[in-house]
Amino acid sequence: MSPWIPALCTGLGVLFLAALALGDQTIPPLDVIGALIGEEGPTGIIVTQLRLPRAIIGAIVGAALGLAGAVCQTIMRNPLADPGIIGINAGAALAATLVIVEIGSLPESILPVASFTGALAATVGIFALSWRNGTTSLRLILVGIGISAFAGACASFISTFGEVAAVQRAMVWLAGSLRDSRWDRLPELIGWMLPACLLIAFGARELDLIVLGDDVARGRGQPVNLVRIALLFGTAMICGAAVAAAGLIAFVGLAAPHIARGLVGQRHAALLPASALTGALLVLAADLIARRALAPVQLPVGIVTAMLGAPFFGVLLWRRRND
Amino acid sequence: MTENLAARNLTLDYGRTTVVDALDLDIHPGRFTALLGPNGCGKSTILRALAGLLRPADGEVILDGRSIAQTGTKALARRVGILAQAATAPDGLTVEDLVRQGRYPHRSIFQPWQEDDRRAVENALARTALTDLRDRPIDRLSGGQRQRAWIAMTLAQESSIVLLDEPTTYLDLGHQVEVLSLMRQLVDRSGATIVAVLHDLVQAARHADRIVLLAGGRIMAQGEPKDVLTPDNLRAAFGVEIVVLTDPDTGAPICLPRSARPGDAPLQQECGASLDSTNI
Repeated sequence: MSPWIPALCTGLGVLFLAALALGDQTIPPLDVIGALIGEEGPTGIIVTQLRLPRAIIGAIVGAALGLAGAVCQTIMRNPLADPGIIGINAGAALAATLVIVEIGSLPESILPVASFTGALAATVGIFALSWRNGTTSLRLILVGIGISAFAGACASFISTFGEVAAVQRAMVWLAGSLRDSRWDRLPELIGWMLPACLLIAFGARELDLIVLGDDVARGRGQPVNLVRIALLFGTAMICGAAVAAAGLIAFVGLAAPHIARGLVGQRHAALLPASALTGALLVLAADLIARRALAPVQLPVGIVTAMLGAPFFGVLLWRRRND
Repeated sequence: MTENLAARNLTLDYGRTTVVDALDLDIHPGRFTALLGPNGCGKSTILRALAGLLRPADGEVILDGRSIAQTGTKALARRVGILAQAATAPDGLTVEDLVRQGRYPHRSIFQPWQEDDRRAVENALARTALTDLRDRPIDRLSGGQRQRAWIAMTLAQESSIVLLDEPTTYLDLGHQVEVLSLMRQLVDRSGATIVAVLHDLVQAARHADRIVLLAGGRIMAQGEPKDVLTPDNLRAAFGVEIVVLTDPDTGAPICLPRSARPGDAPLQQECGASLDSTNI
């Protein structure tokens, strides 16, 4: 096993403690641990009711984005294929905006269902529009960017006609925010994530083969289309859950798999967990910056990841300029 | 225990263009067959169809009396392995990781890596002289080593029929001979059936047991190299005058191109004018 996986776990643990300790009221690490193991104290509530659910949900959402990005990049055989860029997340966000703005009376638990449906619809749309006797990764990306823009425009359009308070709520959420993280959000997030993660974990071996290209994979006997559809379904579940929990957090799905690949290499048995851990690290770090950089003003975490991610995207394109 | 692979009334097309029309072809088991022919004659297309990568518009490919369309993809891959042209591996993938993918059809979804798998990979690495390079990333290999790594992956599959699309392209002379000798060994020692699309007529004649000469999606001639590689057949297939000599060591035919047939390909004729010989 790669030594990087324990290293990433350690880093995540440290960052997690920092996320619990830092804030308007800084709590010493020992008190944090005390609060975690159930000691009564004045700071206990801040840790267990405010910061802990936010850190856990942030880490899970980050892991989801990293994992979804890794799967997408492999099955589309393109390093720029990230659910945030090719419109899967935008589809989820559009469906969720629809729910928040237009049908404000509905219970919040419908949000993950809506965003999963949106993510799946966007995925199917991307494939349908780019399919011509199979598909190429370039066509998938171009169509995906188009779908992403279209879904974004639709969300703005809906917002224009919505009730002001609901629209404002949707806008903050769309920018990607962990502010609304509460314990009662956690079960539904895990409920969506767990089956999808199992599906993808069993698919690690398939991913190792499909990355070599459709012809090579078929020549080894892989049912390529079935594998691609099953894994994209899992990806849509993950993206839907992540978007429902925290809105649009840009660039984590793009950057995390790249960093992970540099650390542990190409084998998906290591690459998938490493991408998830890296994604969790990135979101926790970005949320920490979002909370502390302009305190007491709280930035949405999505803005921080976008500001950090944009240069990363540029570097990636620059390094591949001759391909 | 090698198996019979054949095409019956096989019609293949890309979109609206028919590439191969009603082809009947028998691959002789336990022999090395070379598919030859000009560019665009359908060699690679036929090879892809034989491996089940391309669905026929009409007709079928038969493996031991049964259509491969009715055989499961993994079961087919255990019996027929194909190395397609110009495959690319992602950056950083090691030789061993690539070769291990050849074991895919032998493993069910929950089955761990087994002794059989390990042995097949070691064998494939040894046969292609890649054992020492197993941890090297594919993108840091030379063209010849890279091609051998892909061949090793196909060998690790341990199918009794191996199809190769231009396995010697991009290789220097030494590596070309090495790859073809390896094919020869697989046939002679392991009783494998090999079908390879080749470009070099001399090497095909030297190493293959049988040659299938294709032009325009149809078989022009097939049989032993000396019966197929005649000036008449080659003129008809390639539109080039060819002198056929005999290899003093092996008796295999050696084809020497002289010039384009007059009026057929004016550009080629102009370029080849200085090489013009008396036999036009």
